Amino acid sequence: MDTIPFIAIVFLTLYVGIGQLDQISIQIGLYSPLFAGIVTGLVLGDLSTGLLVGGTLQLLTLGVATYGGATVPDFLSGSIMGTAFAIITGQGFEFGIALAVPIGMLLMQLDVFGRMTNVIFQHRADRAAARGNWRSVETSNMLGMIPWTLTRMIPVFVGLFFGETVVLAINDVIPVWLMAGLRYAGGILPAMGMALLMRMLPFKKFLPYYILGFVIMGYVAGITILGVSLVGLALALIYMARQATVSAATAGAVEDDDMEVEIDE
Amino acid sequence: MSEHKNVVKSNSKITKKDFKKVFLRNIFGLQWGWNYEKMQGLGYCYVIMPILRLLYGNNPEKLTKAMQVELGFFNTSQPMSNLIIGTGIALHEEVGIDKGEDAIVGLKSGLMGPFAGIGDTIFITIYRALVFSIAAYLALDGQVVPAMAIPIICGLLIIGVRWKFLFLAYDQGSKLASGLGSQLKRITEAASIVGLTVIGALVASVVNAPIGITLGAGEVAFSLQEMLDRILPRLLPLLLVLLSYWLLGKKKMTTTKLIIVLMILGIGIGVFNWWLS
Repeated sequence: MDTIPFIAIVFLTLYVGIGQLDQISIQIGLYSPLFAGIVTGLVLGDLSTGLLVGGTLQLLTLGVATYGGATVPDFLSGSIMGTAFAIITGQGFEFGIALAVPIGMLLMQLDVFGRMTNVIFQHRADRAAARGNWRSVETSNMLGMIPWTLTRMIPVFVGLFFGETVVLAINDVIPVWLMAGLRYAGGILPAMGMALLMRMLPFKKFLPYYILGFVIMGYVAGITILGVSLVGLALALIYMARQATVSAATAGAVEDDDMEVEIDE
Repeated sequence: MSEHKNVVKSNSKITKKDFKKVFLRNIFGLQWGWNYEKMQGLGYCYVIMPILRLLYGNNPEKLTKAMQVELGFFNTSQPMSNLIIGTGIALHEEVGIDKGEDAIVGLKSGLMGPFAGIGDTIFITIYRALVFSIAAYLALDGQVVPAMAIPIICGLLIIGVRWKFLFLAYDQGSKLASGLGSQLKRITEAASIVGLTVIGALVASVVNAPIGITLGAGEVAFSLQEMLDRILPRLLPLLLVLLSYWLLGKKKMTTTKLIIVLMILGIGIGVFNWWLS
């Protein structure tokens, strides 16, 4: 494929808007680089590229999240554009990742802009509340969806509509050795996602479990990631049972574990 | 009252239908109006509005006051917000805005910080380490249906948990926070163990850093990668992750800088590999 059909551009523009609303609400998955890559791949008729770009970007961004309203790179838009450009150039998914990462970082500024714009609606609501106009308070909150979605939809539309020419031009001049380098970089980028999660979880405290996971996956032929996560679950249950025994021994009373199991499920 | 049997508490005006309204607004609309000034403040007021209208609808002064109070600064983890809103509803109903203003403001500002900490750990960090890491792995493996189904199913389960949270909090009122804290701490620990096991496994499977260097020549040539594999398979991916982990511990290191470091490193090794082969 060497051009993106206009209808596909419109669809992906709508998708990024819905994906952004998913990001700020239920986070069912549409917001994730993973889904964005898959959907873009499906729309443009190259699912495997979509899976590879989406999957790799997802791993890279596992630990990148908006805690407390911080702005992070927009890998949702990045994943859509990266996948699309990888497909139209035919340069492979690594090319898509190499484009998605800088695109995502560039679009960070628009996230800040959107969150700033919403201050207008907060003030609108404050005035409405003083007049007792509840309906207007509600509309103010709903109007906030406009900056959230437009700050994603406009760049994706513009990027897919005009970016095509630019990317195809880059594609013509990019040397073979650099593509080899980008391909390799695409393979090691997930390391950051892992490292970020290790920073956020009690890595040092639970180091033995990390080692076990690594060794089982690396050495046991035929084991799947779901298999390893079940091993992890078993280890966690053992750990909890032992903790309960310890606290029972020290406090001289057995804790009520029923409630915990309920929530855990 | 016609809807009397639907009420959640026996002597309450609030029906299940009202709770559904609040819940839908909570899961979808809490952050629509997110802004740098009051963050989720606007959203919170929007979420609780059906209750404010129900309780103060025939008293404009009270409604105005309640809206102004609820528009104040608020920011917490979204799944945990259900607990705060449930408690808030209970306060509005039992004490009311006139006497309960301080209690309501205190509840929101007192719980949002600690709940944000717990919630971000459970519902973002650990959730992603488990659900989205496995989904990404499956995607790289070419399994499109499970890669999408697993996050969707887990996401729906979280929505179910949030529905329970809302009632739990409404039911128990402000007693809730202390008891829940210690339980969530233990769940967090157990989930962290599963999460770290999975991350360890991912390091061994999704980080790709092969080495194309061949040592010696002719009959005695052997590949460096094969030699490394005999010592410890996936050694280089592990070293790269540990390097990233170490770099992230540096004061001025940001994720953006780390991405650039990894890109340069990757392009460097990749070009070197390409040149050798």
